[in-house]
Amino acid sequence: MSGTLVRFDQATLGYGRQAVLRDISFSIAEGDFLGLVGPNGSGKTTILRALLGTHPPQSGTVTVAPGLRFGYVPQRDQVDYAFPLTALDVVLMGRYDRIGLGRRPGREDREHARHALEQVGIGDLAGRPLRNLSGGQRQRTLVARALAGQPNLLVLDEPTNGMDLVSTTQILGLVRDLHERSGITVLMVSHALNEVANYVERIAMVMEGAFRIGSVDEIMNETVLSGMYGIPVEVSAFQGHRVVIARRQRRV
Amino acid sequence: MFDTVLLFREALYGALVIGITCSVLSTYVVLRRIVFVGAALAQLSSAGIALALWLSGFTAFSVAGRYPAAVSLVVTLLGALFFGLGGGRRLISSEASIGVAYAVAAAGGILLIAKAVHGEAHDIFLQGNILGITRNDTLILLAVSIPVLLLHGFFFKEFLFVSFDQETARTLGYRVTAWNLLLYFTLGVVITSAMQFAGVLLVFNFLVLPAVTGLLLAASMRGTMLWAVASAVIAVVVGFFLSVPFDLPSAPAIIAVQGLLLLLAWLIRRGRE
Repeated sequence: MSGTLVRFDQATLGYGRQAVLRDISFSIAEGDFLGLVGPNGSGKTTILRALLGTHPPQSGTVTVAPGLRFGYVPQRDQVDYAFPLTALDVVLMGRYDRIGLGRRPGREDREHARHALEQVGIGDLAGRPLRNLSGGQRQRTLVARALAGQPNLLVLDEPTNGMDLVSTTQILGLVRDLHERSGITVLMVSHALNEVANYVERIAMVMEGAFRIGSVDEIMNETVLSGMYGIPVEVSAFQGHRVVIARRQRRV
Repeated sequence: MFDTVLLFREALYGALVIGITCSVLSTYVVLRRIVFVGAALAQLSSAGIALALWLSGFTAFSVAGRYPAAVSLVVTLLGALFFGLGGGRRLISSEASIGVAYAVAAAGGILLIAKAVHGEAHDIFLQGNILGITRNDTLILLAVSIPVLLLHGFFFKEFLFVSFDQETARTLGYRVTAWNLLLYFTLGVVITSAMQFAGVLLVFNFLVLPAVTGLLLAASMRGTMLWAVASAVIAVVVGFFLSVPFDLPSAPAIIAVQGLLLLLAWLIRRGRE
């Protein structure tokens, strides 16, 4: 598989008769590391669902490359940690569509699952109950599940939501390492521009119906961001990290 | 005492079939947090029986009175379809729709029975009479339970996946709504068959307490199901041995034992931690 993995062409996305985003066009190429950023309710999840094929566009097209496999990492709160499952049980689920209806995971599936756990650095926790894992370990388990299916495109939905600074840094570092080591294409959805901007190579921003995509340099620009946010912002650099700060408004 | 219990052995076998089947499904009921869907379906099933008995008073619908289980099944499956498709959550919350279904079905059942021909005599259908189970009844229960258990055994991984993480299952191509409906339908079928003999309270007990006991003791899905089944079997057997010789009502005796087993499991879990 080479070239373009996903292409949105003049796609209008929404629910019922209401359009959330109109006529958006962009593509994700093989080897891309794209961040999809915007505030809550801006339409990130709608784009994600259209991309994953679970919510078709109202008009326009969303085309995925033949044979494309998604490795989906859901938001942590979509998963119920009360289930009596081990980390390995959860990771094996990433292989379920390969195994087939009514069949049980085999030795090869277990090898892939264990390898995925090693890739995310928690190979020693395979037998640990999910409910006994920390927030960061749970997130790594979900990333491992996505990897176990041997995907072409890794899609992470708010992977650092609700995490502390250390866990956030570790998870973002892990995703970047996976991208750099294996060249896997990554789409990372987040509401936190400052977190994502220092890890990804391109950024797609959605805000109040507007959509803009470009390289990190093109998007992390005061003019572009002030226009998107609708308030004056400042982009500062600190030890090689870019940080977006809202300019303090003068009192009238 | 043993001889007295043996007199009711057919009832014991029937109760064991109900307990084992419901306790397997109870794992999903508890983990998916749809405990009150189970209660609402049991109540709908009961209302279905009441509807059949009420209709039997009308010449044009007298056939309904001959097949109360069939009418009950239709009503329960309609409820399962409603809840399986989300329970009208776009307009009101799922919890509220479950509460509405439960309250309306319970009241409807009582009203229909009150106006049915010989309503008081039919009340036993709604309360259940576990000691009245015959060999034929047990065979009917087995005819329902065996296919349901085989289906759940065969599609264990599919039911587990859509229960644990619907969104990811959907992205991997699973027809989540169809799997949910199948789960709810099996639940509806089992509840309908069990309701006629065990009544709402005992069925509801088997849909909740065994799984909670299993979850306290086990660290895996299979372990949870095995403990759930084991606790239901113990509760039925001990409940029978206590209720028959001492002339206690069997269903509450079974539930009381099930509750004690749950307490024991909770103490064991506390001890481990």
